[in-house]
Amino acid sequence: MKKNKDFAIKVCDVSKTFKLKYDRHSTLKEKIVFWKNNKTEFHTVLNNVNLEIKKGETIALIGTNGSGKSTLLKLMTKIIYPTSGKILTNGKLTSLLELGAGFHPDFTGRENIYFNASIFGLTAAEIDSRVEKIIEFSELREFIDSPVRTYSSGMYMRLAFSVAINVDAEILLIDEILAVGDQHFQDKCFSKLHELKNSNKTIVIVSHSLGAIKQLCDRAIWIYDGQVRMDDVCDKVVDEYLKVCG
Amino acid sequence: MIYKLYEYRQLLKSNVRKEIRGKYKGSFLGVLWSFVNPLLMTLIYAIVFPFILKNSQEHYVTYLVIGILPWNFFTTVIAQGTTTILCNAGIIKKVYFPREILPISVATSGLINFIISFPIILIFLLVSGIGFSYYILFVPLIILTEYIFLLGIIFITSAIEVYIRDAEYIINFFINMLFYATPVLYSADLFPKKMSWIFKFNPMATIIESFRDVLFYKSMPPIKMLLIVLFMCIVLLLIGIKIFQKLERGFAEEV
Repeated sequence: MKKNKDFAIKVCDVSKTFKLKYDRHSTLKEKIVFWKNNKTEFHTVLNNVNLEIKKGETIALIGTNGSGKSTLLKLMTKIIYPTSGKILTNGKLTSLLELGAGFHPDFTGRENIYFNASIFGLTAAEIDSRVEKIIEFSELREFIDSPVRTYSSGMYMRLAFSVAINVDAEILLIDEILAVGDQHFQDKCFSKLHELKNSNKTIVIVSHSLGAIKQLCDRAIWIYDGQVRMDDVCDKVVDEYLKVCG
Repeated sequence: MIYKLYEYRQLLKSNVRKEIRGKYKGSFLGVLWSFVNPLLMTLIYAIVFPFILKNSQEHYVTYLVIGILPWNFFTTVIAQGTTTILCNAGIIKKVYFPREILPISVATSGLINFIISFPIILIFLLVSGIGFSYYILFVPLIILTEYIFLLGIIFITSAIEVYIRDAEYIINFFINMLFYATPVLYSADLFPKKMSWIFKFNPMATIIESFRDVLFYKSMPPIKMLLIVLFMCIVLLLIGIKIFQKLERGFAEEV
């Protein structure tokens, strides 16, 4: 692997194995009683994956369900750790694995903006300067001071997406959340992603909406059975993928 | 780790706020409950206890309050702290942030609650005519000792709880037991001499005795013992952080 400083994410020989237990023995009694016949099986989700993502690239991860895309994304955010291998990241990283993680239903929209943005590691001053932009983007101004539990699920998603997209991270990891809100809001999210792309942010997207990916991404990586099956220009990979899996 | 925490200081702040405000949100009295709760507890003991034991302690209610508030601080933080990782499974699985934030914010919100309710003790001291002395200046040191002690414990228990769900119940039992090995309701002198070694191994005993000395008896706290306890608590905290960091790698998979 070349040694250069302009990588955003480097994945070196990463494998991830999950323990599969038929009965999870999480209480002490069960652990003692069943310690012998603990049917533990290992399931290898990722097998020796090597990737290098350069700064400013927009990359799509595609593949069938269970192929390990989301696991790879989780590894990149350091939510879980690889069984072997190493992952290096360079720059401030934000992941949108699920929208609205950590929203407190009793708090108002505004309070949740503060809380959610602080999960992404922003300071109070940074949030202050963004809060108007976030509210503007979410189009929820009338409701921003009512508790989130009174929101419809669409409003909830819009608020969450608005927070996440305005964090201004250098690396953005997105897991299948492009389908937010109505057509109008989706278009808006899309143009925001284009804007981020043009401002030289690194974006990694996991998605099944291939049309959208073709428009947005330069490069696509096809993960198949825990390994990189193809890594090339987006159109090529998507066409090949459709040929095999379509 | 310190640097990581500094970077995420805003999360720590808003999480503490969430713990304090979220707890009483929707109730009528709101944060007032942190006053009412210990007062009610004191009331129960103040009514029941003198009946059972021929109690000769002067200003018994004041005496009681000084023991009960720190004890309440202790039990609430441990109960909440132990389950904090599990309770926040939602964000642990979805977002990266330094996991240490969670136990630290439980301990800190407990600390703030304790400090908010501390004027109750002062009011009791005033009303009963005991008054104050310069020894009250030791109070921050004693509070700090208790805070560090709590942090050390919940770093360990919250991490273990993720893997062994029984931890919560075992710890509950120990806390109940510890209550009787801590001079909350009575003074340590009432304990048989043979048993008094228990207090030496129970940091809470030293902490509560120290509170009593500086507030109730207006005298010097057992300063040597207190410093030893503080030192032990710091060691416990360091061990706790090590254990926590060892176990935190698996949190997202186990919760």
